[in-house]
Amino acid sequence: MEYIFTLRYQWTGPDGETEHLIERLGAGGCDDALIGLGHPGRIAMEFSREAVDAESAIRSALEDVSAASNDLHLIEVTPDLVGLTDAAEWMGLSRQGMRKLMLSHWQTFPRPVHEGSVSIWHLADILSWFEARGGYSIDSRTSEIAELARRINLENRIMRSSQPLDRLAL
Amino acid sequence: MGRSLHPDKEIEAALQYAEASGWRIETSHGHAWGRIFCPFNNSACRSGEFCIASVWGTPKDARNHARQIYRVVDKYRFRQQVSEMDQES
Repeated sequence: MEYIFTLRYQWTGPDGETEHLIERLGAGGCDDALIGLGHPGRIAMEFSREAVDAESAIRSALEDVSAASNDLHLIEVTPDLVGLTDAAEWMGLSRQGMRKLMLSHWQTFPRPVHEGSVSIWHLADILSWFEARGGYSIDSRTSEIAELARRINLENRIMRSSQPLDRLAL
Repeated sequence: MGRSLHPDKEIEAALQYAEASGWRIETSHGHAWGRIFCPFNNSACRSGEFCIASVWGTPKDARNHARQIYRVVDKYRFRQQVSEMDQES
């Protein structure tokens, strides 16, 4: 199965060395990723990875990247955190349509992770909610990736704030 | 144009699609065949991380790599349309 996901990293190596980095990533098995260099100090990789399940897809990608460079530090695995516009895009709805559903189902609609001028949800929660509602076509691979991205990002955040857990190559 | 063609037909077609959408292409050598540069690298661009993207010479799967290029180009095309609509309204 082919799994599509993006790993977003902070790059702490020398500015002029991204060409060298890309060569190392290419040699190290990341030649199934489109590498984005549009933000200074950031490397984004959109993988189309062939694997038996989402977990081996993401796990092997994290390992390939961490083997290629010590100067890449995982920010997040996406898709995970989404605003209302992104969530609407994933479901093929308009932002207004999504907002209407949220307001008219305020008792069951997933709780956001953050609420403020912009509210944020886990995509995995949004997808499960629509799945339970029925009538929407959701690619099971997207649900798998979103759920796993949530778990890895949570673990990554815990590692960044306390003792490393020594399990994932983040 | 005068740039060298990508050795893979499907990726070359995706690159021509990118160029037709205003993207600029620079070639290099090594595992990386070159880079593509988005024409909309401005404040209207919400996720500019792929505004510069690296293209492989011999990716693991050429068809998938071509699809990745189409996806990025289409995403920016869509975002640009949305931002133009926002400016008009």
